[in-house]
Amino acid sequence: MKPFEEQSTAWVDGKLTGKELAEFEKQLAERPEAAAEKDEALRLGNFLRAHPTAPNLGNGDFFNHQIMQRIAAETPRPAENKRAAFWSLPRLALAGAFCLATALALYKTTIPTDAPSSEEPKYFAQVVEAWPADPSISATTVYDPADNVTVVWLDGLDYIPATYALK
Amino acid sequence: MPVRAILVLLSVLICGALVYAAAGGTADKSAGKAAARSADSSANTIWSALVLATNVSTPKRPPAELQACAPRLQRVFGYNQFEIIGSASNELGDRAESWLVPSESFWFGLKARRAVSKEARGGYLLSLQLFQNKRPLLETEVKLAPGSPLFIRGPQYGKGQLIIVLQVQP
Repeated sequence: MKPFEEQSTAWVDGKLTGKELAEFEKQLAERPEAAAEKDEALRLGNFLRAHPTAPNLGNGDFFNHQIMQRIAAETPRPAENKRAAFWSLPRLALAGAFCLATALALYKTTIPTDAPSSEEPKYFAQVVEAWPADPSISATTVYDPADNVTVVWLDGLDYIPATYALK
Repeated sequence: MPVRAILVLLSVLICGALVYAAAGGTADKSAGKAAARSADSSANTIWSALVLATNVSTPKRPPAELQACAPRLQRVFGYNQFEIIGSASNELGDRAESWLVPSESFWFGLKARRAVSKEARGGYLLSLQLFQNKRPLLETEVKLAPGSPLFIRGPQYGKGQLIIVLQVQP
């Protein structure tokens, strides 16, 4: 059996016939306001049929703007919510721990300590100037970085025979 | 910008500032200690030796003073035996003039002052005059860090080569 509202709509539209109409009219006897509702519905239907187009709006753009604003205000913003949720407390704690670890790593790697270095001290012997006392003598400075040797190379010195006793 | 993001940035900045401050303080402390160490080690000596380098079929072991640098000397000069003919050492005083006489044949007139450069590590700027007997051979200024020998290639002697070694003892 159809529900009362459906039968009522069909009754208002004049589509109930025969047995269905008889049964429905029995039910209407218990509802005295039904006749008034039918009249109201018929009047509304006639009015709508007589005015099929929407009324002209005096300021359509403003109306559209307000509608769009309301839609935007009532629509949830997933992207913004996601960004706000990025700095949650656990992430904040992680970021803090990361900062601390970075600071400690920098402290350990970049700051010299007082502990003695295990490396050998660097070789440093530098000839600033060299002036031979005699024009026949030339002095050249040779630095060999591979062997860490600095040599002042004197040329033009007199040969000393092996018979000469060096003391 | 969310407040939490600003807090994180602030904490990063504070961490950075703390590290920077700690680095500056420790570096200053280290520099101070290094300077103090340098000033304390005022009793350096300078050692010099006249060395005869030769090539022989059965070379002797180098003397103890040359053992550390003998392999380098061998590569640079091409001789396989090194003997010390004479050596001498002097205490180095700031701006003091002295003689350094490793042998009667080769000797130095010497004036020393502290080198201020970082590489010299508390070493000396030496003004040297090298003499062969009474004949001046060379005048030179050298910077020597402790433990870093300077070699002067002297004249040929017989089939060998005379080398003069100069080193600030640490």
